[in-house]
Amino acid sequence: MPMTADSERFIAMLNSNKGIVYKIANGYCKNEENRKDLIQEIILQMWIAFPKYNQQFAITTWMYTIALNVSISFYRKETRRQSLNQTIPADVLIWEQETDNTRLADGLKSLQEFISSLAELEKALLILYLDENPQQEIADILGISVSNVSTKINRLKEKLKQKLSSQKIT
Amino acid sequence: MMEDLTLIQLWKSYNQQMEENLQLNKSNAAEILKIKVKSAIVSMKPIKLFTVLVGIVWVFFVDSVLFTTFDYVNTFFLVSAITQVVLTKLAIGIYLYQLALIDKVDVENNIVTVQEKIANLQASSLWVARLMFLQLPVWTTFYWNEEMLSNREYFLHGVQLVVTISFSVISIWLFLNIKMENREKKWFKILFHGKEWDSTIHAMGMLDQINRFKK
Repeated sequence: MPMTADSERFIAMLNSNKGIVYKIANGYCKNEENRKDLIQEIILQMWIAFPKYNQQFAITTWMYTIALNVSISFYRKETRRQSLNQTIPADVLIWEQETDNTRLADGLKSLQEFISSLAELEKALLILYLDENPQQEIADILGISVSNVSTKINRLKEKLKQKLSSQKIT
Repeated sequence: MMEDLTLIQLWKSYNQQMEENLQLNKSNAAEILKIKVKSAIVSMKPIKLFTVLVGIVWVFFVDSVLFTTFDYVNTFFLVSAITQVVLTKLAIGIYLYQLALIDKVDVENNIVTVQEKIANLQASSLWVARLMFLQLPVWTTFYWNEEMLSNREYFLHGVQLVVTISFSVISIWLFLNIKMENREKKWFKILFHGKEWDSTIHAMGMLDQINRFKK
């Protein structure tokens, strides 16, 4: 079946911002098989919401919101698996080659481990912060005040600093 | 701050690696767009679907028994059966309504709003359990009749009374105490363990997390 203009536009948008989907799925799901499911679910939910996308907002804000919402509610596995029980392709996002074992990669690993250890909402906050989103945008995506964002980021940074310095990475 | 820069640099290196290594398989992505999403109700787990269907069949059965025997059936049976069937209907209704509403949550809204809505709906499964427990006493009264009560089998009456009062006390106590605040208590954990309650328990934890996060 040929692709429609909408689906072509959607795939192009997804291709330009695939990192958002991958980073969030990776932060919320360590198990590889479950992560594949999560990536598919995020893409599916984005596609369902795509006709309603309001172009006055940045596409990345929209993508962060959906990807985070889907990832946080991923524990409702039963519904997810059942809604996806039709034949689905295996891999959508493919990591082409392994990264080298440099000191930087070790630091990154520790950072990712720290992200994985956080509660769902703190995890969302840290990912948005590390991706250098403005605090106002982070507040809009999360649904909390800017001052709350600022306070929580400082607390998280402090926690993270302690963890990284204890591992002599920074 | 140096630490800030280090963190952002680390994350940027991750983005850089992604830029170089991450590929989107477009034909597989296009396949996802063809998936027809079923509603949560339609895509219920077979065992849950079976339980709901048995519940609906049961309700129809009791309703038809009540309808056909209403004029001559004894009062104890009538009150017990009506109580049981009304509570079962409520429980089935709440369960299906909650599933239907979860489907309608708009994932484009902000995270706190969406997650709070989903968690509240998920946690409302506790209401189903409360209603199901509340009907316990009527299972000890539906077979009563005037003839049985007028005979002089005092021992049997005593046993019957103890059973009915015990069931009533337990069911009212459970109805009043099955709530989120008690989820760390031992009896609660014993009652609500197992996979089928995982989502509900997780939802209650999520509501706590949301409340802390909003402060």
